[in-house]
Amino acid sequence: MAVKDDDYFLNPPPGSAAARAVEFGIDLTLTLENLRLSPEERIRKLDDHLAGIAKLKATARIIGRHDERTSKPK
Amino acid sequence: MTSGPANLNSDLIPLIEKQVRLLGSSNVDCVIIGGVAATLHGSEIPTSDLDVCYSRDPQNLERLAKALQSVDARLRNAPRDLPFILDAETLRRGLNFTFWTNVGSLDLLGEVKGVGYYEDVLSGSLIFELFGFPFAVVELGRLIAAKRAAGRPKDLLMVVELEAILERQLQAKADEHKKEIKPDE
Repeated sequence: MAVKDDDYFLNPPPGSAAARAVEFGIDLTLTLENLRLSPEERIRKLDDHLAGIAKLKATARIIGRHDERTSKPK
Repeated sequence: MTSGPANLNSDLIPLIEKQVRLLGSSNVDCVIIGGVAATLHGSEIPTSDLDVCYSRDPQNLERLAKALQSVDARLRNAPRDLPFILDAETLRRGLNFTFWTNVGSLDLLGEVKGVGYYEDVLSGSLIFELFGFPFAVVELGRLIAAKRAAGRPKDLLMVVELEAILERQLQAKADEHKKEIKPDE
């Protein structure tokens, strides 16, 4: 991608669609990185992410809680 | 369960697991916040990066800097050719950082809007075992406060779902309490 494109996403011009996306809560630095990838790489990245989230959900377990006042594990 | 930085080189390990293993094996004091915390609390809304609130303790900054150096971290919101020295001093001078790394994007927050600094975020947090490492995950009420304070439509969308999860948790707790008081009913 050209430097100009980097500028557009990293410093969105006021009133631009990119500025509106940032206001909505979209992290355009992540969008920019995706645009740097080939379509195939984007799909692989998505697959990787979904696999990671699935594995995280499947293996995570709660083992305690930090105290409200002292922040020490109970 | 195997753990440690050596595993970070495998292409077979998903990025999010690599990020968790990186922080865990580097003994970085941090609390998982943001979308991954929401996922661990049961949210179905997808997230694409790991956000953590980190301790500003000088020794922790050293550990964090070393961990980031090991995965070639660079600032995400700056041109790629911008000179940037990543060490504990740089982390001390800043507060909130967004990085690209060899193991995916990583957001490091010294302060979480709506909640406070590391100690405030850590307070009341749940401790999860993730890929063999104990990790603090921000308590659901504080996560909702953070999302509400961020105030963007994307965050507010998540607030609606998280509030439903919280309400159900409170109902379940109340039901359990009732059972304890009147076990025969």
